[in-house]
Amino acid sequence: MNLLELTLGIMTAVGGFVDISELVFAAQAGSSYGYALIWVFALSTIGIMVLGEMSGRVAAVAKQPVFNLIRHRLGLKLGLVTLIASLISNLITCAAEIGGTAIILHLLTGAPMMLMAVAMMVVLIGTIWILPFKWIERAYGLLGLFMIVFAVALIKADPPWARIAAGFVPQIPSGLPSGELIRFAYFGVAIISAVMFPYEVYFYSSGGIEEEWGPKDLSINRLTCIVGFGLGSLLAISILSSSAALFAPLHVDPQLPGSAVLEAELPMGRVGLLLALLGVLFAVAGAAIETCLANAYSVAQFFGWEWGRHKKPWKTPRFTLTWIALFLLALAIVLTGIDVMKLVEFAVLFSVLVLPLTYLPLLLLASDRHFMREHRNGALANGLGWLYFAVIVAAAVAAVPLFLLTSGGQG
Amino acid sequence: MNPRGRIQLVGGLLDLPIIDKDGRYCGIVDDMELEEAEGTLRVKGLLVGPGAYRGRLPGWAFHLIRWVAGARMARVPWDAIESIGGAVVLKVAAETCGLHRAEDKARRLIPHRGAM
Repeated sequence: MNLLELTLGIMTAVGGFVDISELVFAAQAGSSYGYALIWVFALSTIGIMVLGEMSGRVAAVAKQPVFNLIRHRLGLKLGLVTLIASLISNLITCAAEIGGTAIILHLLTGAPMMLMAVAMMVVLIGTIWILPFKWIERAYGLLGLFMIVFAVALIKADPPWARIAAGFVPQIPSGLPSGELIRFAYFGVAIISAVMFPYEVYFYSSGGIEEEWGPKDLSINRLTCIVGFGLGSLLAISILSSSAALFAPLHVDPQLPGSAVLEAELPMGRVGLLLALLGVLFAVAGAAIETCLANAYSVAQFFGWEWGRHKKPWKTPRFTLTWIALFLLALAIVLTGIDVMKLVEFAVLFSVLVLPLTYLPLLLLASDRHFMREHRNGALANGLGWLYFAVIVAAAVAAVPLFLLTSGGQG
Repeated sequence: MNPRGRIQLVGGLLDLPIIDKDGRYCGIVDDMELEEAEGTLRVKGLLVGPGAYRGRLPGWAFHLIRWVAGARMARVPWDAIESIGGAVVLKVAAETCGLHRAEDKARRLIPHRGAM
């Protein structure tokens, strides 16, 4: 195993873990419920570790990206339903990420937000056009490591560590009125959705094929998922905990990404603020690329087109036209002036509905002796896989009623 | 004879990706063309493209897809198949079966420079 490759892979996973939905829901969860939702982040992180590892293993052994499986296992009709639902979910997510970067650029430069959205779009399209897959993934993942400032800020804020540790134990805060209990449940479902976004496995498994993984890469896959996603999740938990320590006592509700970065400014001053802005900018821009490419991967794999950014864009013309068109569509959504927070809410709602249809074919193939041979799921992976499938089905069933009852978490 | 086994083979082939002899993705098995010979049904070839969705989708969905993507359909003869596994691998180039027309058309729309 190449140690440099492994380290870079893990660091990329850490820097690329947090996206705008996690940022916003972590900050809001901390300010509203203190440390009581940390366990949902921890639970969902184990879920994305289990299912991400499975998708990487299937890509390495069976050479099958997720949407090939979805089409083959669910058939044309249900596969098409899944494709359309995931396209809508990823497109809204991509628009939310672009809107998020525009807000950060507006805060950094003072230039109008819409102009910044267009500028960011040009940069993102240019990045994918010019750079091959590995460079794109590494560049944004490594620059996203500026997000570590949130962990440093948490340490400097000297929070109540015992209460943070207690937050890892599953709990429901006592004494909440029924309306707040429903909102607490909505936040739980939203965090599960934000951590286990379907685009993550589409992107991760397709990335494995882009990088030509084989069975020899299974250890890197496992370590990247466990260590990379685990450390990435700690950054999200740092954002939640800082919000609980700094915002909750002041009754501040950090509804915008711009509010969350104040978590770094309060204990670290202007340097903290600048590093946090840069971290959020690169992490969210990286997520915009991931969501857009995940959508283009899905379409290309569903219809059997040539795909991948390890090839020149003109070698995969329909795939190339698809990701450019999807970026432009996402930009058009942002340019309508719709509130970025509304986009984030819709993104997590649509995503949780797509999750079961995404993970079922993956679970079936990862257990298939014919395709996976000695690398098929063992008892632990199967047990955890089906347990998490039950969790996401429950979350999907609860999502719409909770969204309507809480007006998208507004109470 | 094991008719169930044959039906499973047909079911297993549907919706598999197709890769040509040069390793290029060139479609999905959207349907199969069967022929009757000596009292038994045989697979004559694979049908690829949105035109082959007829009968596999509700009418309104088929018409919608035909409106968006057209009704083109290519036929891959059974003897052009090298192997069947996680994908159908062909022993010929995609162009031989007319599987790269849409890709070639799209290629003309984008510039061929500037990428690493």
